[in-house]
Amino acid sequence: MQFLGKEIPSPLTLASGILGISFSSLQRIIRDGAGMVTTKSLSLEPRIGHEGPIIAEFDGGLINSVGLTNPGIQDGLLEVEKFHKEFEGVSIVSVFGGNAAEFVRLAKAVNSSSADLLELNLSCPNVEDEFKRPFALMPEKITEIVSAVGAVSQIPVLAKLSPNAYDVAEMATLAEAAGADGITMINTLGHGMVIDAIARRPVLRNNFGGISGPCIKPLALKLIHDVYQKVDIPILGTGGVSNGLDAVEMMMAGASAVAIGSAVYERGLDVFRSTRLEMEAFMETHDYADYSDLIGLLEEN
Amino acid sequence: MKRDRQTLPIVAIREENVSLRTFTFETSLQALPGQFIMLTVFSQGEKPFSILDVTESSFSMTIKNIGPFTERLFQMDVGDIISIRGPYGQPFSQETGRILMVGGGYATPPLRFQAKVLREAGVRYLVNVNGARSETDLLYVPDFMDYCDRSLIATDDGSQGYRGTSVAVMQDVLGEESFDRIYISGPEKMMKAATTVARQFGVPFEVNLERYMKCGVGVCGSCVMDPHGFILCMEGPVVDHKTLDKLEEFGVSHRDKTGRITAL
Repeated sequence: MQFLGKEIPSPLTLASGILGISFSSLQRIIRDGAGMVTTKSLSLEPRIGHEGPIIAEFDGGLINSVGLTNPGIQDGLLEVEKFHKEFEGVSIVSVFGGNAAEFVRLAKAVNSSSADLLELNLSCPNVEDEFKRPFALMPEKITEIVSAVGAVSQIPVLAKLSPNAYDVAEMATLAEAAGADGITMINTLGHGMVIDAIARRPVLRNNFGGISGPCIKPLALKLIHDVYQKVDIPILGTGGVSNGLDAVEMMMAGASAVAIGSAVYERGLDVFRSTRLEMEAFMETHDYADYSDLIGLLEEN
Repeated sequence: MKRDRQTLPIVAIREENVSLRTFTFETSLQALPGQFIMLTVFSQGEKPFSILDVTESSFSMTIKNIGPFTERLFQMDVGDIISIRGPYGQPFSQETGRILMVGGGYATPPLRFQAKVLREAGVRYLVNVNGARSETDLLYVPDFMDYCDRSLIATDDGSQGYRGTSVAVMQDVLGEESFDRIYISGPEKMMKAATTVARQFGVPFEVNLERYMKCGVGVCGSCVMDPHGFILCMEGPVVDHKTLDKLEEFGVSHRDKTGRITAL
């Protein structure tokens, strides 16, 4: 099947922020059955991110407050180069800047690398103390950043939106109008909090974190469905997908490809291989010839 | 696969030397030698630590005071609470034939644990080489003497045992006797040297590796080792000689807190 002009063996994708940036883990994920990988978001300068605990589990999923840990755009793109050297695989490089000018500098750097696609992380919930409200919640910022990047990027640009916006479909429409080639959604939800009652403290060192995992899947499906009605550009769907049926549902809601994040924690790296097999089994049973046949099949009651 | 996090009081603190303390907690922990736990010190964060010992109702860890996190822990008293999750990672194997253990510096707690477990499992013959900079840095000398058939000591300054490294003593021991397996735990450069010696003698070995770890459960990517994307916190920290062959960055480089590659 194809995604934004790239031939991919399966719609499954590593979501940004899981398993870091090292070329070796990215290659491993493709070998394990993914069609594409998304890097951790790269910023202009290296970032350590938040102190641990950065992750806490609860009955419905995970809360994380990684805080954009990354080696910086320069070292990060070296990993991307190594990933592509003598290796077949589609890369999405995710970037995060503090303003439109930074996003443009990052986009130029990514364009001069062998990266296939560029994802603008407009929606990280874990750096509000530094960067204030995520750009994906501010219509004028979406327009400003996406059009500034669109003017310099030769490779397709995905805008990663937030589930916390009041009208996500409206935000997607703005991103499309500003020149985005695709939409990635949803990012983690919240903030949420997990509390240690004995210690009378939040478990996360940063107190709050973004919620992911099975509990956010219904929200992701609804928002992807909404956005699919409003835009003509492809959607990279993500949010709580843990198995083949989840991925099928997400494509039926309107996603052209599906990213997996927290399920790596639940099912291990093998989640890509097993999810792919589960999808294929569903498609065979129900007579779908190709992954792309599933996109947007949902009929409302 | 949901793992339990536990918040517990410290039940005992033992001073090992000027910078090392052993902290004991009361809970049943199904842990094997080489595994680690993530320890939270409230208001100070979370770090991984190897396990010194478990009993039916308790476990303990020997910790060196090296920075703000451990400094805060060292200010704590019996009764103060911490939080743990784990145990995580792959332990040492339980080979009980003729065993050689080689330890360096403050990385010996997992070997002490391994010696105890192997002794209980009826190990045929157990030799330990315990190396440290100086006499005052040596750990668990009486314990190793208890558990092992031969217990050798090497200090860099010669203040106790042989003057020199544990690897030099290991080489001598391998020249004298045959072994079925070698368990190695120490600073990476020392382990690198030890593995070279082990390969010369053709003895299978396992090493206990360390990398910067943040989530402990295989998702954050901090501890990934090149070039095959080996996830150390989940697939290690103990790796055998065959796996180590594939970890080209062993003894060469590691990744810092941002994920950048830096020389070891």
